[in-house]
Formats: sequence, C-alpha cells, structure tokens
Amino acid sequence: MEIFNNIVIASLAAIFLQNSILERALGANVLLYASRKKEHLVGFFAAITYTTTASAPLVWIFDTFLGNNEYYGILMPLLYILTISTVYIVTLVLIWRFLPKLFRSLKKYVHLSVFNCSVIGALFLCSQQGSDIFTYIGYGLGTGIGFLFAAYLLYIASERLTSSLVPAAFRGYPIMIVYVGILSLALYAFTGYSTSAV
Amino acid sequence: MENRIDPRDGLIKQNMVFMSGMLTAPVIACSTTLIKSLAVCFVFSVVSFAAILLCRLIPRTIVYTVRVIIYSAAAAVFYIPTALMAQSIFGEAVIKAAGVYLPILVTNSLILSKAETRFYLEPAGNMIRDVLGFVMGFDISCAITGVFREYFTTGRILGSEIPILFTIPALETTFGGFLFVGIGAGLFRALYSYRKKKAAEAENDDVDSLAEYAEDVGEFLVGKHGTKAEREKIRIYKAAVRNIKTQNDLLNMEFLSNKDVLAAFEAIVSEGQEMLTENNAGNANDTGAPADAGNTAELPTEEGENGDI
Repeated sequence: MEIFNNIVIASLAAIFLQNSILERALGANVLLYASRKKEHLVGFFAAITYTTTASAPLVWIFDTFLGNNEYYGILMPLLYILTISTVYIVTLVLIWRFLPKLFRSLKKYVHLSVFNCSVIGALFLCSQQGSDIFTYIGYGLGTGIGFLFAAYLLYIASERLTSSLVPAAFRGYPIMIVYVGILSLALYAFTGYSTSAV
Repeated sequence: MENRIDPRDGLIKQNMVFMSGMLTAPVIACSTTLIKSLAVCFVFSVVSFAAILLCRLIPRTIVYTVRVIIYSAAAAVFYIPTALMAQSIFGEAVIKAAGVYLPILVTNSLILSKAETRFYLEPAGNMIRDVLGFVMGFDISCAITGVFREYFTTGRILGSEIPILFTIPALETTFGGFLFVGIGAGLFRALYSYRKKKAAEAENDDVDSLAEYAEDVGEFLVGKHGTKAEREKIRIYKAAVRNIKTQNDLLNMEFLSNKDVLAAFEAIVSEGQEMLTENNAGNANDTGAPADAGNTAELPTEEGENGDI
C-alpha cells in the first residue's frame, strides 16, 4: 500500500505541482507539435509516459550507485541518453517483431516523442525530486500524464488560437505560447510563487 | 552546383526562439538573468556545433531510428568538456542555478531534426555558415531575453543598477517567461512582416521607375508626335516593357549604360515593328505582342549582345 501511495503522490506532484510543461517549460516545442492533432496527442502521451516510466528505474540505479561521484552531474546527460536509447531500441524491436502494423504508424514520429527535452528533463526531475525507486516511477508516470494534461488544454484551444480572430503576427506559435503562459500562471495557484526580487 | 544559403534564415526568418519555437525551454525557464543566458548560449553553441559537425560523418545508410541515438549520444559526450569549461568561465553557482536546462540541450531540435532535414543536405561549407546562423540566432534571442528579464525584474544588468520606473518581478517565473517569449515572438514576427512588406514595395518601386524610364526613352526616340505607325510602335513597346516588368528582367538593365538601354529599346522596337506588320496583316489583337516582345527584352542581359553594343 505504501508503494502505491508513493507512486500516486509522486505522480500527482508531477502533474500539478511540478508539471514539466507548465511549471518547467520542458518540451514546450514538442507540446506545440503534439497539440495539432488528436492522434499526435495520444501518440506523444503514450511514448513520453512509457519512456519516462520505463527509464525511471534505470535512472534510479545510476543515481543510487554513482550519485556520490564527483563528476556524476556532468556524466548524467550521457547516462540518461544511453538509458533512453536502450528503452527506445528494445521497445522498437519488440513492437517491430510482434506488432508490425503499430511499428509502421509509430515510425514517423517516435524519435521525436522519445528524444526531446520533455523526456530527458523528466528524468532529471526524477533525480532531483525522487527518493526511492517508486517515487522515480511515479514521477515518470506523472510527467507523461502532466504532458497530456497540458497538451489537451492546448489542443482544445488550438482552433481559436490559429483563427483569423487573432492578429496575423500573433497567430499560431506566439499566441499559443502566451496561452500556455496563462495556463502556467493558473497552475501557480496550487503552489503559490515567490521571486528573488521581492 | 552549391545551394545559396542566406545566413539570415537562422538569424531571423527561422529564428529558433521567436519564429519557429524549436528550442524554448531554456529561454523561458532559465534565461532570467544575462549571466545565466550567456551560460546557456555557450553550452548550446559548443555542443550543437560540435555534434552537428561530427555527426555529418555518420553514413546515411544507417537508419534514422539509430542515427538519432548517435546524434544525442555525441551531443552528450561533447557536453562533458563543455560543462567543465562553462563551470570555469561562469562559475559553479551559475551552472547550478541553470539546473536541468544545460544538460537538456543535448536533445535540442537543431541536432536531432534540423541537421537531418536541412544541414546534412547542404555542402559542408554552406552547412557551417547555416549552422552558425541558427546558433547565433538562438544566442542573440536568448541573451536579449536575459537582459530584458533581468532588467525588468531587478532593475539591474550584471549587477549594475540602472534606473527604472517600475519592476515586474513575475518576469522571473516560468509563466513570465512564457508571456515574454510569446509576446516577443508576436512582435518579432510583426516587425519581420513589416520589413518584408517594405522591401517588396521598394522592389516594386524600382521596377516601376525603370519601366517609366524605359518608356520615356522610347517616347523620346520615336517622338511623342510621331505618325500613327510610330505611336503604334510606342504602344507595342510599352506592352513589351510591361512584360519585361513581370518577368523581372528589366531590373537587369539597372546595371547597364544608357547605350545598352537604347540598344534594348531598338531591339524591342524592331521586334515590335515585325509584330505590327504581322498584326496589320492578320488583323490580330494586341495580346500577342508583349509575350513575343518580351523574348527580345532578354537580349541586353546576354553577354554577347552587350559586347556587340
């Protein structure tokens, strides 16, 4: 039960308190791409959630056994890339072997949904926030759900944000970023904010 | 034949922060001060440039599914010395404050997608210029964001106090970053569109003034009060000029002397005369004249013809 609680609490924190997109802006460009179509939304959510959740235990192993090394902080990106790559390759081989139809449809954007700031950033956040393997997994899971949450909020507004009602210069990318900023501001209600300047 | 690369593509037209939004996370969340922005710029520039150059050597026979791993692994390897250098240049506190935003640069879109879809399709020399354009475009945008946010948040830049009427502390937050980059992108695009429109107008003005000049020369040579046949020549000549205008060939005449313009005019008139004869003979309408006359308009731009003149 405690394991389950740890996973749920870490997931909720990753969705609402430390949302990788709205709180950290990690993978904002991927968010803009994913929110264009419903299929992209689901595909990116599945790929990001799976990769972060499956990579989290491996990251925990690295953090636990190498965390005290003086140069670990500098080696982290390489180790995390190798972790993500392992998960990516193994999964693709399995899908290619057992679900060839799915493999063909995934092939187009799977690399984009796995190798991006959102996934690697989520693993760094796991490392910062997680305490045991279950919180790592919970954080990985929550990052994917948090991405879906942000992407869905953008998806439902994207038609209006790209309509002719918006001035031409702001149409599309600029107004979407402003909109995500307002969503981000709304999410601050959960945590409150303070700045070093005040 | 080498592709022509416009270095302004990466700097302005496809600016990674304000135009295409290819890499926004470090700018939105980390560029809250100039020094942090400079650290981001340094790591991004070195890692991206080195990784893109090295990964060009990877044979394209390897499938992209595997190449993408090599690209990001190469960037992660280059990150190691770059981070050590950044620590010694900017200090450990700055690198620590930048948090996860420096290591995540190893998976930036410039290395993973732009290299594949653009840079590796160009010859090596052009690629280097192009990559530098994109890198500089990001660096300038990131540094400008850092300066603005630091100044409007604290009223200081790099610790030096600069008088300010009011501060906006919320600019330091992530949502402040989103709003700043979003509004900045809108203004940047508006400015770009305005400049583009002005440049197009200026180009049209050039074409118009050249066309008017060519018409004046024609009228002077044939005479305003010439015979009916001569006036017809002018009419055909004007139609020919209009046709040249649409083909944008008249702009080439800008670099020629009056003598060349005269020769061009004579060539057009002579062609026009032939057409006039044909028109009279066949009672044809005017519509055929410009198209045929337009062919002769290319004459002055050809080297052989100019040499003869």
